[in-house]
Amino acid sequence: MRGLATRRPAGPAAPAAPMRERRNQLTVAAVAFLLGLLVVVQLRAQTAGSALQGRSAQDLTTLVGNLNTQNDRLRTEVGTLQRQLSELQTDHASGATSVGQIQTDLGRIRAWAGLDPVSGRGVTLVVSGQIGAAAVDDLLNELRNAGAEAMAVEDVRVVAATTISGVPGALDVDGFLLRDGFMIRAIGRPETLVGSLTRAGGIVAQLAATSPAATIEVKPNGPNDDPMILPATKRVLVPGHGHPRL
Amino acid sequence: MSSLAGRIRRIPSWQVTLGVALLLLGFLVAAQLAAEGPRIRYASQERTGLVDTAQSLQAQQDQLKDQIVSLREQIQRLEHDSAGSQAALRSLNDQLEAARIAAGLIPLTGTGIVLKLEDSAQPVPPDGNEADYLVGASDLRTVVDQLWLAGAEAIAINDERITASTAIIDIGGSVLVNAAYLAGPYDITAIGAADLFDRLSASPGFEELVRTRRGSFGIGVSWAEPANVDVPAFAGSVTLRESRAVASQTPTLPAGPSPHEAVP
Repeated sequence: MRGLATRRPAGPAAPAAPMRERRNQLTVAAVAFLLGLLVVVQLRAQTAGSALQGRSAQDLTTLVGNLNTQNDRLRTEVGTLQRQLSELQTDHASGATSVGQIQTDLGRIRAWAGLDPVSGRGVTLVVSGQIGAAAVDDLLNELRNAGAEAMAVEDVRVVAATTISGVPGALDVDGFLLRDGFMIRAIGRPETLVGSLTRAGGIVAQLAATSPAATIEVKPNGPNDDPMILPATKRVLVPGHGHPRL
Repeated sequence: MSSLAGRIRRIPSWQVTLGVALLLLGFLVAAQLAAEGPRIRYASQERTGLVDTAQSLQAQQDQLKDQIVSLREQIQRLEHDSAGSQAALRSLNDQLEAARIAAGLIPLTGTGIVLKLEDSAQPVPPDGNEADYLVGASDLRTVVDQLWLAGAEAIAINDERITASTAIIDIGGSVLVNAAYLAGPYDITAIGAADLFDRLSASPGFEELVRTRRGSFGIGVSWAEPANVDVPAFAGSVTLRESRAVASQTPTLPAGPSPHEAVP
């Protein structure tokens, strides 16, 4: 028996060895393929898109709506800038002055930044009763999200650095005291602003539940009303510690 | 022991390779399953389409913003090179440059801090609210407000510049800043005085955020003070549709924290 056992590999085992080797290689290759696949899936899961995988269809629909609206605004901005650039290039080529264009650009940017007063239609929020700083901040955030172009709390123009602090009944807006009963004015499409503020489950409804001591009246400024005039900011917006990055 | 070592040495190399590969495979499968754990999964064809649409729209938005930044740079260069009365143009261009800086349309660099906010790594207890363990819009707005109060001059969240028109909102656990979808961790960069962090950390609002969000729910709050902080330009729309500028000469107050004594 022993003699037979020792002789066997010399016969049929000789062609079986490469076959076994091939099978081993195929097994390793299959595992390596699976490994690669999982590495790719795992890496893709780390990207921003993966965070969206856990969102409900309703949340994703709202997100898509927001992205669509913003992209439309950005496309309009691209169009405006392309026209402006084209006119400047024409002037530049003919040696004509572009002072008028620069002044228009300057006026637009100053108004947007809050450096100049602005007028237009929009919405007025009359807030009465005691309300917290966070609630006022929520109202301003909602107005921004609804597309407000300029806002003022009483006569304080809201700019990027504007903060609401303090306690109900003695809120502080950029150093000015807000007592019970004040107005927030925002310029923008009145229908959009009112719709966003007063929708079911919207910010006004939420604040009615969380700040029962306060009431918020939303008054649109229609085409027959005098346009609202919002003041310029009294802050200096030129930085003292930051400088333009070239 | 020596027989065990001998047996190990006799193991063919392909078996070792296969063993290591299977170990990695197991690790990756476990990681994949664990990554899907904390957030609820919704499986439907409709949802997959919406995810693709949202990602595609976000990619379009990034391209549009790049285009806007590039166009603004070209316009700025041409306005500087414009013909006409040199003195008048220089003055006008200086005003335009100042207005662009004030509006956040020019990237800035300077002293400042970088704060990082991360979702909690703690498991959500059975009776807990998952949202409490994620960084939300209100956390980011609190940090931004506290930074302004501490004297910050320019702020960005994950490269989205905070301007007068910036809304920071939640959409089902996601955060939109300037209507751009941002995923955590959130890097909040702020330019200000060299003692900006000291002022921030001394503020009761920031202390409360750290105590309640980090202390109670494990939200990651960390910070760094690099030698220079870069804040990008706002790449959104500054077109006014409903507003008309009214020219005025306005007196100004110093920049920085609000002057609390200036109560009318």
